[in-house]
Amino acid sequence: MNVEITGLTRRFGRTMAVAGVDLRAGPGVFGLLGPNGAGKTSLLRIMATAIQPTSGRLRLLGRDPRGDGPRREIRRRLGYLPQNLGYYPGFTVAEFVEYFALLKEMPAARIPPAVAAAVDRVGLGDRSRARLRTLSGGMLRRVGIAQAIVNDPELLLLDEPTAGLDPEQRMAFRALLRDLGQSATIVVSTHLVEDVGAACAQVALMDRGKIIFHGTPGDLTARGAGHGTGDAPLERGYSAVLTAARP
Amino acid sequence: MTATSAPARSAPVTSPPGRSAARLLRLELRHNAMLWMMPVAVALFWVTAGRKTMATPPLWGVRAANMQPTAVLANASPVAGAAAWMGSRESRRRTTDLVNITARPWPARLLATWAATTCWALVAYLACVGVVYGVTAQQATWGGPLWWPAVVAGASLPALTALGFAVGTLVPSRFTAPLVTIAAFFVLALSTQLINGSQSYWQISPVVAAPWDIGPDPGAGTFYAFQPDLPIAQVMFLTGLTAAVLGVLALPTGAGARSPRRSGVAVATAGLLVAGTAVALAGTGRLDAQGMIAIPALHDAASDRPLRYTPVCSHTAIPVCLNPAYASYLPATETALAPTLDQLAGLPGAPARISQAAVTYQQGRDNSVGFGLAGLPISGTPPVFHLLLPVELPGPAVTTSELAAQLRSITGPSIVASVTGDNPGASQAQHAVTTALLMAARVVPSHLPAGGTPTIGNSVAGPPPGAGAGSEQYVGAAPGSPAYAAATRFAARPAAVRRAWLTRHLAALRAGRISLGQLP
Repeated sequence: MNVEITGLTRRFGRTMAVAGVDLRAGPGVFGLLGPNGAGKTSLLRIMATAIQPTSGRLRLLGRDPRGDGPRREIRRRLGYLPQNLGYYPGFTVAEFVEYFALLKEMPAARIPPAVAAAVDRVGLGDRSRARLRTLSGGMLRRVGIAQAIVNDPELLLLDEPTAGLDPEQRMAFRALLRDLGQSATIVVSTHLVEDVGAACAQVALMDRGKIIFHGTPGDLTARGAGHGTGDAPLERGYSAVLTAARP
Repeated sequence: MTATSAPARSAPVTSPPGRSAARLLRLELRHNAMLWMMPVAVALFWVTAGRKTMATPPLWGVRAANMQPTAVLANASPVAGAAAWMGSRESRRRTTDLVNITARPWPARLLATWAATTCWALVAYLACVGVVYGVTAQQATWGGPLWWPAVVAGASLPALTALGFAVGTLVPSRFTAPLVTIAAFFVLALSTQLINGSQSYWQISPVVAAPWDIGPDPGAGTFYAFQPDLPIAQVMFLTGLTAAVLGVLALPTGAGARSPRRSGVAVATAGLLVAGTAVALAGTGRLDAQGMIAIPALHDAASDRPLRYTPVCSHTAIPVCLNPAYASYLPATETALAPTLDQLAGLPGAPARISQAAVTYQQGRDNSVGFGLAGLPISGTPPVFHLLLPVELPGPAVTTSELAAQLRSITGPSIVASVTGDNPGASQAQHAVTTALLMAARVVPSHLPAGGTPTIGNSVAGPPPGAGAGSEQYVGAAPGSPAYAAATRFAARPAAVRRAWLTRHLAALRAGRISLGQLP
């Protein structure tokens, strides 16, 4: 298992953002669904080693991230796309991706081909020398995905990766996810259930810091049978689970 | 986006740190705010430091010592401001999460950004120093570049970038860089306000290039070797400060590793120790006789010996010999003194040579500094008159015509007085003969305070070393007095008559045995 989480909590002041999460995920694409404020981003940031949990047990790629050495090893094998991508406007696409390849301590000789491959995979090969300040929001999102996958990560954490992408790009992105998921564990946090249905083998639904559903997209769809809210079967399942979990 | 070109997975292999660090530095160099601030830094340097430095006499000691403080002040604002801007970049651009979860330790990442900022600051500074030193090399007639002042100003740049960068990193905001830009200038400019005498701890400030009370000493690098005691302490301080600040950058808690924090504590502690030692050393400094700060623990006594040089001499009736570094002043000196020297040449007791001497200094109480000749103005056999050029003395730079005027009206009378024995205790006849010789040479003397030594434009006070009893000082005859009438009468006599009388009676005149009535 690349992700093993037991009893994980994270508190921000009086707010319990993650309230006792148990989760295990192996290679494949794992969808993390939930309404705004459910704790998805906090859980993803903990898994990205950006913040530490308040309590609970976490093992990533078979290592405990509390130790300096194991954490560094995890980070070498990690890709992360935050919800709000920060970027340096003066950098070109290739330079920005190269910058993160260097920070991920990739061997210097492997960086140029890896950068070119990552930029190509997100469809920005022809814009690799464009400065980031000249790109649209969708293109910037793809640059963010490129920096996340440049090191060919074993654990890829994507927070709202399809926000700002047009339908064609979203379809291409789902295909990319399926491809990457053959060998890596990919956790995709999203509130767009169609992304989950199209690309994820496993899905978890979070609400108020807890996982209230864990199964396949098919299982989630089944939960929505006979439930009236939602346009699509998966959306009806999502609504049904949320409604059932709330008092 | 394509799903078909996934590269084969292989276990991550760490990169050789040097090569990756070089690539990271290259990226940071290409996207550094200091790159855009370079023209500002160069322009500020030229407006505030370059022009002022180039206006000083073309003496290595003076030029270098003038350049150091002005260069530090000129660079402080743009360099510290750019560093603060770069330090706050991750927070301003909201990349903190993204970069913090990468494998490279955050101190190494920040170090690359800081190093790039420092590199560009140094490039701009070295270009400016290159111009100043290059032009000085063209203009100077003797000696070589003094590197220590340039090194101190250069060492201040990493310290400034480290401070600016640390503030930008630890207190990130869009207002941080402008505030740091303003603060850097004022902190440096005000750092000298607390200097009191040559034993002040505050002279560790990089804007102090020479004893604060007297300014740059032209004797450094001309008559005496430059003493690097204070610059060594300053470089120690700046290096320690840089290390301490960079060490502090590795301390912030977060999702980082413990080992960089431990290294940060070690580096910061070592830096503070070095900087503290340097401050303590600066506090033990004392003004030495050559006008430089000597720090006993760092002082090399062997460097106190005067430099050997072959003087450049004029072809006047009495040769005027200057240090070769002052060769460009010889024509003006020669022209200014020639009429006076013509009156004295060949007389018994007249100097065989006018020889330039170095100023010597003595720290008095509080901020007072005495300066002057180390010995008597005239001494030796054959007698040699020791000359202090006005450009050697503390004060603002003088033009060649100002120099000539001061030599004619101050040094000329002093030379005559040294021959006639005129001083405040001399006889009326001595006053009259001195005045008569100056009238004949068409010199309008500038009266000096009794017991003083020629000084220009400086508020320092105190007894000049060696200018005590027995030193001849021009007093002359006051207009309207009997002595003045006798001087007018004596000056009106033909030159041959004056010379013949002086040849016979000069010894008696010096001994005070000639009365006014005995003058022809």
